[in-house]
Amino acid sequence: METQYRYTPEIPEVFKCRVPLPGTSQAFLLNGVLTEEYRDPAGVVVLSNGQTGFKIEVPAGNTSPDSTQIITVRDNKDTRALAFSNNISLGANSLSSFLICTHTLTLDEFVTESEITITANEGANCHIVVMQNEHNFSNHKITFNLIQKRDSFVRINMVTLHGAKIENLFDVKLAEPGALCELNGIYLADGKQQITTTINMNHLVPHCQSRQLFKGILDNEARASFSGKIVVSKDAQKTEAYQSNHNLLLSRKAKVYAQPQLEIYADDVKCSHGATSGRLDENALFYMRSRGIGAAEAKLLQQIAFVYDVLEKINNEQLRNRLQEMVESRLRGEFSHCANCSMNCC
Amino acid sequence: MLTIKGLHASIDGKEILKGIDLTVKAGEIHAIMGPNGSGKSTLSSVLAGRETFEVTAGEVEYNGVNLLELDAEERARMGLFLGFQYPVEIPGVSNVNFMKTAINEKRKFKNLPPLSAAEFLKLMREKMAVVEMDSSFSSRGVNVGFSGGEKKRNEIFQMAMLEPTLAILDETDSGLDIDALRIVASGVNKLKRADNAFIVITHYQRLLDYIVPDIVHVLYDGRIIRTAGKELALEVEERGYDWLIKA
Repeated sequence: METQYRYTPEIPEVFKCRVPLPGTSQAFLLNGVLTEEYRDPAGVVVLSNGQTGFKIEVPAGNTSPDSTQIITVRDNKDTRALAFSNNISLGANSLSSFLICTHTLTLDEFVTESEITITANEGANCHIVVMQNEHNFSNHKITFNLIQKRDSFVRINMVTLHGAKIENLFDVKLAEPGALCELNGIYLADGKQQITTTINMNHLVPHCQSRQLFKGILDNEARASFSGKIVVSKDAQKTEAYQSNHNLLLSRKAKVYAQPQLEIYADDVKCSHGATSGRLDENALFYMRSRGIGAAEAKLLQQIAFVYDVLEKINNEQLRNRLQEMVESRLRGEFSHCANCSMNCC
Repeated sequence: MLTIKGLHASIDGKEILKGIDLTVKAGEIHAIMGPNGSGKSTLSSVLAGRETFEVTAGEVEYNGVNLLELDAEERARMGLFLGFQYPVEIPGVSNVNFMKTAINEKRKFKNLPPLSAAEFLKLMREKMAVVEMDSSFSSRGVNVGFSGGEKKRNEIFQMAMLEPTLAILDETDSGLDIDALRIVASGVNKLKRADNAFIVITHYQRLLDYIVPDIVHVLYDGRIIRTAGKELALEVEERGYDWLIKA
């Protein structure tokens, strides 16, 4: 598989993305505007959604395993508060995968609100990885509106690495039987960063499944909130819906608010939720130290271990390994104290 | 190699070790036996540097240094090893990476360059053979999904990799079937040299059929109440601990 790299002169040269992975094509959204429309050989099209935002169409029956990377960057050419909408339409019985990255290139106080509406038609199968790596003055809110039709599968893996205030909202409608939605995420925050995750998982019809696994590591005075609601409608029998949220607090001043909620109006369902917050495990730290591994390294290994099962959900091995490296360097503090953290990050 | 004098230790204000005296010389294998709650695991934890225990009195000298002043990792780098009764699972950290980190930290401490990838893999293969471990274990997360026996075998494997001067095995035999026990014991026997020493903590005499100790101690209520040769283990097996406690 050949690497497709598209020349995009509008993107400042300082921004170097080691991605694309083999078989990945890139599209850039600079300050909300798509730099160039794109059509890949398999027929996946990336178009402007009006003046701002993107619109992606995956043709029905698409079987190409190639993935599309959408890099949304903000820089000082436009520092206004921006709001824009994006659309992803997944054709019936299509296969697709996306990597959506969000970055900031300058230290302005960006405010970005974007909405990504995803329609998964019958039998569509889609993997989406969202990597968020923005600097300490950036506020970014993304709302995912996900509508899933019969027997569709959508998995979204969030990897939230850096940013002043990151809000991720998910509104999922499992609208036809057989739909399966998986939402996973890790969020890492330190300093005074804030990360909010809000999920509304709506089981509207019988025989759908949803799974949620979110884990966070918070240091210093970072704040995170996880508010996840599963609503099972009256007729949505045979629903399976699971949610878990686990948090590791590295400092006494870090705080997490977890609000798992279940609203079940049907009577033949399997649902569960669990939320925890805790500290590093002394026993495991001692085990590692007793092998000669220094305390700092042992703490790091334990943090890597903590988020491992979430990263494991990323099915593209190369991408997973690369994100794991980034998570590791983030946890090592290698770019947390660097103002221009989002450059050369991946 | 190791000299313990009048060691007292407590946890949450409760005294567990009430004056331990013990001397271990190079080339020796010591067995420490005793009923549940006598302080065997506490002793091993204190020696390895677990901070949850507070040493309230006594001294421990290890190869000329005051052991109690060192952090757990420093003790390990100086050749102390603790085989855990309940080895910890670390998902996401493969056995290979875990061992590579541990070995290179130890080498750094000794001012040696890190092992090359080839050297490391060779060492890994060699030591896995000692405990008859399947090579697929190396890429799996540390102890993740391992059976009780596999975890204990992994402890012996780690010990083989780290080549400690003094190894303390805390109830390594618990939960092992006879085959696993034999493999673990033969691992220890292969690693035994004139310049290293072992302290084997065990509940049962069974392990001592395979690892023959030079000296056997019985620990009860935080004190060593009897020290003798290997025949003591057999006597304990036959008569229990009561006769020693009452004596």
